[in-house]
Amino acid sequence: MAEKLVIMVTHGPDQPVLASIAFAMAGGAVAYDVEVVMIFQGDGCLLMKKGVAETVAAPEFTPLRELLPTLREMGAKFIACSPGVKMYGLSQEDLIDGVEIATAGRFVAEVMSATNSLVY
Amino acid sequence: MAETEIQEATTVDARGLVCPMPIVRTAKAMKGLALGDVLKVIATDRGSVADIPAWAGSTGNELLEWHEEDGAFVFLLRKGAGIG
Repeated sequence: MAEKLVIMVTHGPDQPVLASIAFAMAGGAVAYDVEVVMIFQGDGCLLMKKGVAETVAAPEFTPLRELLPTLREMGAKFIACSPGVKMYGLSQEDLIDGVEIATAGRFVAEVMSATNSLVY
Repeated sequence: MAETEIQEATTVDARGLVCPMPIVRTAKAMKGLALGDVLKVIATDRGSVADIPAWAGSTGNELLEWHEEDGAFVFLLRKGAGIG
């Protein structure tokens, strides 16, 4: 995996189209064997709360309940931003297993070491 | 290509699947094949007509041919030495 794509997701379940586009792009990237890091910030952190992604679907997009496990199986990494997690009163155990919590320093490191990045 | 080869191809039935699952399923299936093996992909998403040739071209796999059949798009891909 020589190439890396960072996808920053700043919208949550109340914007299912934007959330679905972000996950669809991640799916496209893993199909190319590109390393994918999805960073969830602000409202996007809600997508990492257990049980939430299962409810997010937009017409003509693959529902997240199907896409998210596929992405994990294909090695995509998920990181949630600490302020966003705390803003919604969440903690590590409220998040999907394996989701890291980090802050801007880590995100900058991910973006600067990536081949490219996208923000939704 | 010979009909027998087509019949022996591994098939991904991506009918009814939408973005990005046809290409994800194609990539996953290709990983399990050996160099030179043929993968048949059947999809109904119009985007596949652009996606699958682009994916094949970028991943070192060969698009042998594609056609429409019974309202679906049928692709034949040969596994190359690249990724996927």
